[in-house]
Parts: sequence; C-alpha cells; structure tokens
Amino acid sequence: MLVNTYSKRVFNLAYQFAGSYQEAEDLTQDIFLKLYNALRKYDFEKNFTAWLLTLAKNHLIDTYRKTKWEKAHRDEFDEQSAAPEAALGPESGLAQEADRKLVWDGLNRLAPETRVAVILRDIQDKSYEEVAEILDLPLGTVKSRINRGRLQLARILKDKKEDIHGL
Amino acid sequence: MDCKRIQELLSSFLEGDLSQAEMALMESHLAGCPDCASLLAVLGRAQKALAGFPEIEVSPSLKARLIAIPEQKKKFSFSFDFVLKPSLQPVFAAATIFMTLLSFYLFNPDKRNIDRAIDQRIHTGYGQVEKLYAKAGSFTDRLGDTAENVFVSVKNWKIFSGNEDHPYTE
Repeated sequence: MLVNTYSKRVFNLAYQFAGSYQEAEDLTQDIFLKLYNALRKYDFEKNFTAWLLTLAKNHLIDTYRKTKWEKAHRDEFDEQSAAPEAALGPESGLAQEADRKLVWDGLNRLAPETRVAVILRDIQDKSYEEVAEILDLPLGTVKSRINRGRLQLARILKDKKEDIHGL
Repeated sequence: MDCKRIQELLSSFLEGDLSQAEMALMESHLAGCPDCASLLAVLGRAQKALAGFPEIEVSPSLKARLIAIPEQKKKFSFSFDFVLKPSLQPVFAAATIFMTLLSFYLFNPDKRNIDRAIDQRIHTGYGQVEKLYAKAGSFTDRLGDTAENVFVSVKNWKIFSGNEDHPYTE
C-alpha cells in the first residue's frame, strides 16, 4: 500500500536530485527503510506526504554531503522519455530538447538545498506552501531560494548557448 | 533599481508575484536593458524545460525490493532485539568506559612508565599483604599462648580439685 502509493514520488525526487537511475533506486530503498523505522514517530495530525518527502529530502541531502555527487556526471538525459510536445514544430522541439539537456545537467551545479526546492516547485509542480512545509522553512526563504536556483539555471543556459554560438 | 536587483526579481515577475508598482518598474527597465531582457527570456525557457521533465515509472524489481523491506526488518529485529534491551544499557555503558580506559592505556605514548608504575603498585601491595599476614600469624600465636596460660590457671583453682602447692603442668 505504502509502496504503491508513494514509491513513484520518492523515486522521482531521488532521480531528479541525483541524476542517476541506479543511484535513485538505491536511495529510494534507503528512504523506505528509514520510513519504516520512523513510522512510529509519525504525528497523525501532520500531512503524511509532506512528512515523507521531508524525510526523503533529508536523506538525499545527507547522502549528497557524504558522497559529493557533484563530482559524478548525471545520467544522459533520455529524450525518449521526455514529455511529448505535439504542438511544436521540429525546430522548436529540438530547441526545447537542447534546453532540457542543459537544465538537466545544470541541476548538479545547484546547492543541494536549492536543487530540492527547484525540483519540488518546478518539476513536481508543488505550491510554494507545500515546498515550505516539506523543507520546513518560512515561505519567504523558500521563494527566494527557488528564485535564486532558477536564475542560476538560466545563467547556465545562457552561458552554454553563448558558448555554442561563439564557436 | 539596478540590473542585479531586477534579475533577482525576474522569477517573481514571470509569475506575476509583484506589486503593480514593481511590475511597472520592471517593465520599463526590461524595455531598455537587453541583458536583463535576454535573461528573462532564458529564465522562461529554463522553467519550461524543468516543467517538461517526465515522471519515471518505478521498476518492478525496485518495487519488489521495497515491499520486501518490512519482512527483512522483522528478521533483523528478531535476531538483534536483545541488543536493544534497556536492561543492557548499564552493561554497554560500563563496556564503553572500560574500552575508553583501555584505549587510553594501550595508545598512551608513556605506556612503559605506566606499566612500571602498575608493577610497583602491585609489588608494594603484595608486600603489605605479606606483612599483614605475618602480623596476623604472630598475633594468633600470642593468642594461643594466652589461652593456654588461662587454661592452666583455671585448672589449678581449688574448686576444680587442683593443688596450688603442686601446680598442674602439661
């Protein structure tokens, strides 16, 4: 029940954070192990999804600090699994594909706390309030963290594009 | 507002999360600043790219592993439950203190002097025990003699048919 309902969310968060499929599988397993151990401490008045994602986020950041994934490369971005853009022409579709690849790689250059915030808001489409609850931070801090992360990604995208055009 | 401040607000501008005055200020700056305007365009593309990342399905093998966790946990907790007993906590505490002291002793650079001091203490202690033992022995002898004298004196009393002129001797 728990696995069927929440494994996809946890796995996707781990995958988007770590950028490696294998790593994400291991992390998801660790997170569920922690979850089973921590279930006794769960306060029934709290939102379970937010509580679980907080636990997942803490584990991801802790593991990141221990292993420093930023040195490792992210998996090659899988074009086939990207969301289909039926309404776009081939040129526009290609440009978006290139952007996705750059942004996917650029995620590794964000600080782990910023990365999680951006993933939750912009990839997983959570509201600022939900992100604040998961990160256990004030709303204003969350907003400025997400803004900073987006700006950093935009600059990466801009620099890469300029490099490509400069060649 | 300078470009730095404008760029910090770009994300909020895209989401329309600014006051009317700020929005107007941003628009007028963006109209005259190609750098900030191009960053705004790229920011929009980056956000679109992020929103385009698909949700990935969990592999059946991972699901199976996740489902198996509680069973594995039960096995683990069965075999190691005794370790978690609160009654063992003083034992663990004592073991920790012992190990700490032992490590202080084993890894002390002055270990040889410590060994010598311990030897000396043991010898001194042994000597003191020996002396005490010897004293105890002489005290027992004296006590035996006294008891004997008392016994002889009592035997010589008349009421016990003794003869004080020819006293009883052993």
